[in-house]
Amino acid sequence: MGYSTLMRLARFAVLLIVQLVILNHLHLFGYATPLLIGYMIICFETGTSRMSLLLWGFAIGIIYDIFSNTIGIAASSCTLLAMIQPYLVKLYMPRDINESFKPTIQTLGIQKYTWYVLSMMGVLHFVFYFLQAFTMADIWLTIGAMFGGTLLSSILVVCVEFILHYLNNEDEKVKI
Amino acid sequence: MGLLILYTYVMQNLIDFIVKYKYWFVFLLLEGFSLSLLFRFNNYQGSVFFTNANSMVGGLYNTVNGVTSYVNLGEVNAKLESDNELLRAEIHEMKRILAEHRVDTLRFNGFNRGRFRFIGAQVINATLHQGNNTITINKGQKDGIKPEMGVICSSGVVGIVYLTSDHYSIVIPVINASSKVSCRLGKSNHFGTLQWHHGDPEHAQMIGVPLHVKIKKGQLIETNGFSDIFPSSIPIGRVEDVEPSQDGLSHLITVKLSTDFNSLQNVSVITNYSHAEKRLLEQKADSLLEGNDEDSFY
Repeated sequence: MGYSTLMRLARFAVLLIVQLVILNHLHLFGYATPLLIGYMIICFETGTSRMSLLLWGFAIGIIYDIFSNTIGIAASSCTLLAMIQPYLVKLYMPRDINESFKPTIQTLGIQKYTWYVLSMMGVLHFVFYFLQAFTMADIWLTIGAMFGGTLLSSILVVCVEFILHYLNNEDEKVKI
Repeated sequence: MGLLILYTYVMQNLIDFIVKYKYWFVFLLLEGFSLSLLFRFNNYQGSVFFTNANSMVGGLYNTVNGVTSYVNLGEVNAKLESDNELLRAEIHEMKRILAEHRVDTLRFNGFNRGRFRFIGAQVINATLHQGNNTITINKGQKDGIKPEMGVICSSGVVGIVYLTSDHYSIVIPVINASSKVSCRLGKSNHFGTLQWHHGDPEHAQMIGVPLHVKIKKGQLIETNGFSDIFPSSIPIGRVEDVEPSQDGLSHLITVKLSTDFNSLQNVSVITNYSHAEKRLLEQKADSLLEGNDEDSFY
């Protein structure tokens, strides 16, 4: 198991605990619950093989499902997100890069990164809440949950990225 | 010969295609698997592994609850205090009545029968803002809990046990879109059904009360004891608003639930309120009626 896999597992553990203990009990305006676990899939770099990306997506989803009683809902939406992630990164990344490209706030810049996170979270929340409701009744509640969750989790992800980026720069300054 | 070359060429291309796009097949496989889980297990009683009743997940929530329950201790204390006061007042009243009836020739041994046995449990996880809300409690089969037992708390009805594992159970609260509890108005005998729609965890609707019945705001709504699950006269909530229902035949009553699901911590499961005899009789009647269907009544 490589260093990056270990780091990924650690990050997943932290995200899962934050998600289950805090965010799942957060219902802004009554229904907007952010799914921060999508951040795991947002972070994958472009060099990653499609297979491992898909398996990671599925594993993340099913583990979240087991902990939150949403059998199969997060698994299918995270797998779908893992499937379309490479296409979405390609949409925002500079065209002349051939080697592995990691989408972060440093590499993309804050504006593009925010749009990238918004589109990823949009897809995740759209699929998740559609599968959860699976009905056209209460459609406004579902749509509210989709938009509220997307906005809230995007803001969270961008804030976390911004803080990490800032801390990294501080470290570099100290080293120099 | 030409055909063979064409055949190998086509096969080569096909294999290349499959190797190149194998992740599409994996994607479809995983997606199909998770959707089949979704459709198969959502209403399946045996899905303990995939729910909070799973002992590992339940254990985690138990630990988390052990830490977070301290936050609400003040509120819980206040609630206990007020409960105590009520009970004290009741004891006082009982003592007064008992003193009035000093000489009694009747022997009363109703209380010793122990008609209900309660098992206390703690809520370790709860969802409130989905259509299918659930509550996880930290007692299970080994403590004597079985599916379809009623769950109440000090302020009223909570819900019905749905799934049990060895040490944990999942309760379907009254604020679940698929929950239906039969109830009645105040002390009158007008009964109806309590149901809930996606949205507000503090209100539910009571349907089925005919239009000629006069309903006052603030009137108590309680269980009617028709089902095997709850004994009668357990409070559910109070009437907040009354309007005619869509079919124009009955009232649609908005009920302010007496149980505060947001801060629910201690609940009791009613374990022996099951009239085996009554159920047996009803089953017998049902099977007789079904048998008669073929012979026809006419």
